Amino acid sequence: MILLVAILAGWVAGLILTCSQKRPWTVPPLAKSWMVLVAFLPQFILLYLPGIRARVPDSLAAAGLLVSLALLLVFCWFNRRLSGVWLLALGLFFNLLVMATNSGFMPISPQTASQLVPHDTLAALGSGDRFGTKDILLLPEQTRLIWLSDQFLPPKGFPYQVAFSAGDVLIAAGAFWLMVTQGKAIETPKSKIAKESKC
Amino acid sequence: MKNQIAKLFVFLPKINRQHIQVAFALLALVLFVLGAGAPSDGGIISR
Repeated sequence: MILLVAILAGWVAGLILTCSQKRPWTVPPLAKSWMVLVAFLPQFILLYLPGIRARVPDSLAAAGLLVSLALLLVFCWFNRRLSGVWLLALGLFFNLLVMATNSGFMPISPQTASQLVPHDTLAALGSGDRFGTKDILLLPEQTRLIWLSDQFLPPKGFPYQVAFSAGDVLIAAGAFWLMVTQGKAIETPKSKIAKESKC
Repeated sequence: MKNQIAKLFVFLPKINRQHIQVAFALLALVLFVLGAGAPSDGGIISR
C-alpha cells in the first residue's frame, strides 16, 4: 500500500513537472517488463492465493520468495541505465539480504508487531511463526541484520499503521524518482548549458 | 444496454498500442514494488 502511494505520488509529481515544462509525461521505458510478471508469479501463487498459501510448507514459500526477489534484481540490471532504478535495486538487495539470512522471510520483532495487531492475536504466535504476508516473527536477539528488518513504523496516530524496512524506504524512493523523471536524468540549468555547448 | 455497447465500440478503436504499452509498464512497476517490498500491516496472520 505505502509503495503504491509512492508510485502514485511520483506520477502526480512527474505530471506537474512535465506540465510546467510544457512537454508530455511518458511512461519510463522499462526493458524486459515481462520479467516482472514472471518474477512476481511465484510470490503470487505461494503467498497471496489463500488456498495454496495454507498448504505450502514455509520452506517452499521462502524459496519461492527468494527466487522471486533474485529475478527482480536481474530485471533491475537490464534497466540499470534508467534514473531511479539503482535506488530500487539497492532497496531490493537489502530486503533480499535480510530475508536470505532469516529463514527466507522478512523479520519483524514482537514489539513492532504489537503495534499492528491486537495483543490477543500476537499472544497466539510464537517466535519463528509467519506474520503478515512476507514476515516472520523473530526476537531481536535471534534476528540477523536487524537494521534491515521491518523495524520502522509511521508516527503514532497515523491512520494506517504498517511496519517497513530500510529497503522498503529505498524502493519507495526509487519508484517515486523513476516516475518523476520517467527514467531520464533531470535536466538542471547547468547540465542544459553543458549539453548545448557540446552541440 | 444497447447504448453502452455502442459506447464501447466508439471507445475501443481509441485504445492504441501506446496505451497498452503505458498500462503494461505501469503494471510492471506496480508488481515490481509489490514483489520487491516487504512492508507488513499484519494483514494475514500465520498462513
